Amino acid sequence: MITRKWIERIEGEASVQFTFEHNKVSFATIAFPHFRGMEAILHARPAMDALVITPRVCGICGHSHLFAAVRAIESVYANSGFPLEISPKAEALRELTLSLELIQNHFKWLYLVIYPELSHLVQCPIADSFRLKGAYAASLATKVLAIFAGQWPHSSYMIPGGVTCDPTYVDTVRAMGLLDELIRWFEKELTGISLEEYLHLSSTKALSRLSGDMGDLDKMLRAANMHKQGFSYDRYCVLGEHGFSKPSKNINKRTTKVNAKQVTLENPYTVDEKTYAKNALYQNNPFETGPLARAIINGIPLIKHLHRSFRDSTYSRIMARSYEIALLLNHCKILLQSIRLDEPSFIEPHKKITSLSGEGVGIVEAPRGPLMHKVTLNKGIIDHYALITPTQWNLASGSPQTPGPAQKAMIGADSIEIATFTFRAFDVCSVCTTH
Amino acid sequence: MKPRLKLLWLQGVTCNGNTHSFLNYPHLSYILETFEFLYHPLLPSTYTLEEISTCAHECDILVFEGAYDPRMERVGTSLERVVHHYGNHARYIIAAGSCASFGGMFKHSDPEHITGLGFDEKEPKGPFVKNSKLINLSGCPIHPEWMGYTLRMIADNKPISIDELHRPKELYSYLAHHGCTRNEYFEWKVDSDHFGTKEGCLFYKQGCRGPMTHASCNKILWNDVSSKTRAGSPCFGCTEPDFPRTNMFETKTNMSIPQDVPVGISKRSYLTMAGIAKSFHIPRLEKRLIDDNT
Amino acid sequence: MKSVPEKTANTKKEDRKTSIMQTALKLFSTEGFYTTTMPAIAQKLGMSVGNFYNYFSSKDQLAKELMLYISTVLGDKLREINMTDVSVKEKITMIVHMYFSIARERPELIEYFLRVFLSNREIFTKECTGMVCVSGFVTELMLFFDDGVQRGELKNQDFFSALGLFMGYLGGMVFLNGEEVLPHPLSEYETAIAENIYNALRKQ
Ligand code: SF4
Ligand code: SF4
Repeated sequence: MITRKWIERIEGEASVQFTFEHNKVSFATIAFPHFRGMEAILHARPAMDALVITPRVCGICGHSHLFAAVRAIESVYANSGFPLEISPKAEALRELTLSLELIQNHFKWLYLVIYPELSHLVQCPIADSFRLKGAYAASLATKVLAIFAGQWPHSSYMIPGGVTCDPTYVDTVRAMGLLDELIRWFEKELTGISLEEYLHLSSTKALSRLSGDMGDLDKMLRAANMHKQGFSYDRYCVLGEHGFSKPSKNINKRTTKVNAKQVTLENPYTVDEKTYAKNALYQNNPFETGPLARAIINGIPLIKHLHRSFRDSTYSRIMARSYEIALLLNHCKILLQSIRLDEPSFIEPHKKITSLSGEGVGIVEAPRGPLMHKVTLNKGIIDHYALITPTQWNLASGSPQTPGPAQKAMIGADSIEIATFTFRAFDVCSVCTTH
Repeated sequence: MKPRLKLLWLQGVTCNGNTHSFLNYPHLSYILETFEFLYHPLLPSTYTLEEISTCAHECDILVFEGAYDPRMERVGTSLERVVHHYGNHARYIIAAGSCASFGGMFKHSDPEHITGLGFDEKEPKGPFVKNSKLINLSGCPIHPEWMGYTLRMIADNKPISIDELHRPKELYSYLAHHGCTRNEYFEWKVDSDHFGTKEGCLFYKQGCRGPMTHASCNKILWNDVSSKTRAGSPCFGCTEPDFPRTNMFETKTNMSIPQDVPVGISKRSYLTMAGIAKSFHIPRLEKRLIDDNT
Repeated sequence: MKSVPEKTANTKKEDRKTSIMQTALKLFSTEGFYTTTMPAIAQKLGMSVGNFYNYFSSKDQLAKELMLYISTVLGDKLREINMTDVSVKEKITMIVHMYFSIARERPELIEYFLRVFLSNREIFTKECTGMVCVSGFVTELMLFFDDGVQRGELKNQDFFSALGLFMGYLGGMVFLNGEEVLPHPLSEYETAIAENIYNALRKQ
């Protein structure tokens, strides 16, 4: 029996067709019906326009797109023998604002998607105002971001050679004040213990010490048996290079090097249904990307411990994403302290962009995993632009022989509700997937 | 308690940026107390999109985000049908963002078919042409406070006067230039030599559209803290019907003369003033603002 | 609002100023800028030196106002041309004609510009920095160039390269004419010069 279900509230919608056998999901295909043609919109425009256009691929992770676009153009410079110098200050600011975008994403996902769905599953309703916590925390994070980037969403403040802003210590002090406020809020509402203590937790047992919303999350997920299902390939890939995460892959608990050149695209598998998302693979294999992948590859003690007991269950996936908030809050704090404002924000490229031809690739870790922008320039004009988004990995719709990570995770679910929740644990974003 | 106004938030061809921008609104609890969301992509709602698509309900306010493509389907139903049904019954139709207002970014993926709700760039086109209920809140994305203002004015039964492009005058009579921290550099024609400095104006080289763009970004700051031009990025004119233009990081000049000059000022007057202002060398404006740490 | 009699008084003063400037320009061009003194100008006008200084407090100030005056005269003419609805090419012909006509009918204007303003910059540094004193004329030229590029007729290039080409050429011809080097009257060169300028500036 095949049942089709529209999944909403995922930055657009997806259509999932479930096949049931013996009252369990035996297979599922994922289709994304909307397509906007971002790559075509970019065609024939001056390279710098990508910094305005690509953030508009996605309203929730546009800043990651901006970062990927700027890295892609900088890589064209490097490939043509003119590597650009970026000051440590500009690097730190880029990394700071990217991290803040990840933080706001995770907060929204947690409070506006996961809690409502989970509370429904375990039949313990939450108040409407509870969900607004996610918006509140996210807006504090984006406020800090906007001090440097001018605004969120849709800033274009990263440019080849650095950043456009020139903050003073008044700005960084203000940012620290707001960040402290967010951290205090996090401690009070989510963990009931200090951020530092939380970051030092290294065993699953210790999680019972949590009060706050994280404590509830832990209990509710277990009550819903989420630690016993949602298993996927247990194979992970990180491609973006950052202070908070290194590129690598992890197969059978072994972490090894990656080379972005091995990323390939495959046509999606659906039945009688149009989808616009291509599957992203590494060496022709599906890999899970995103916070769980980053935590495993970067050896985050608590998540590794959790993974030992619960592998890549929905529980691990959700805990890893929520825990990443703490890691990133701390990372932001360190970055803000370290920024030296006497360095230049922007170092003018020696070569004019209008004389630049060649190819480049920019990769960053977006909230949901590696985001790749590939660009070919001809005298500074975009000849070709290609995007590979993180959700193309996780939400790939593969054949029954090689299902994508989310497909595989849904197999075995008792009901559509459980399968849908499993799906949402990957933090679905329809607009990025199809672009 | 007064019955809440029924608000429906629909999406066309979009990036969801307006949804996310609005989530930054500091008074969301007021919004939830005052409006019942029949559907919203993220906020608690009475119905699912699938239920909304049956057209079995009615709303007081239709908020539409994204460009309008009559051929599009949402959750398997024709967008055209859904938009007409709810729009015709609503008391207000709010176009949230530049795509919904004028076609915006996503119009470019199919310029022939895709439009805004009542305009195709500047030209009247779309499902609600010349409809007096239509309020355009252009901007890419929408500014949360602009939406907050509009909703509260509606809830309080206060009139919102609009300009010829259906934008509330109180928000769009200002120019993005008003209140920019670089205004003095603009006055005395001191250019920013390159990006990454707080000094200098971005009008001459970096493509700033502030003086040609109706928006109150430098009056009502973004995320309560800043704006593009304060952060050293040029204004791209995202509230105007011609957004996105091309070559947005560069000022379009003809023989070094800016092609566009501030709204409502003749080029002759502008060049006369600029020529005079430029001839004075003002050391205070030519050096760094703070010289110790930079 | 200003009262009427005051306005008349002002107008009178302005008229007087203009006639002083015209006399000064003539003297500068026949006697030379440095050798012509303020008392000499006053004398020529039949004014007392004291009264003369009521109009211009120093020679530098007079020099500056002269330049402003010339720029306004040229600017007004150019403005008329700018407002005419003809092609860029025709406008160039009109500008060349206008410039040479002035050079012929009021040579002191052009001569002052070329010989005094451009060759004695030190006099003008204080109050006449950059292009302030010629802004009336330069603004109109900018508008002309801008319009030419917008219409797609002229090549988009740096303003000063275009300005130098245009005005340098015209100035050079007037200079040659003044030195009596040209075998024919200036007006006979107009068509060829306009053609050359157009070809040099137009979009390829
Ligand atoms: S940077 Fe833009 S908005 Fe700011 S003063 Fe200059 S022109 Fe105006
Ligand atoms: S400054 Fe300009 S581009 Fe930026 S948000 Fe305002 S109107 Fe849009």
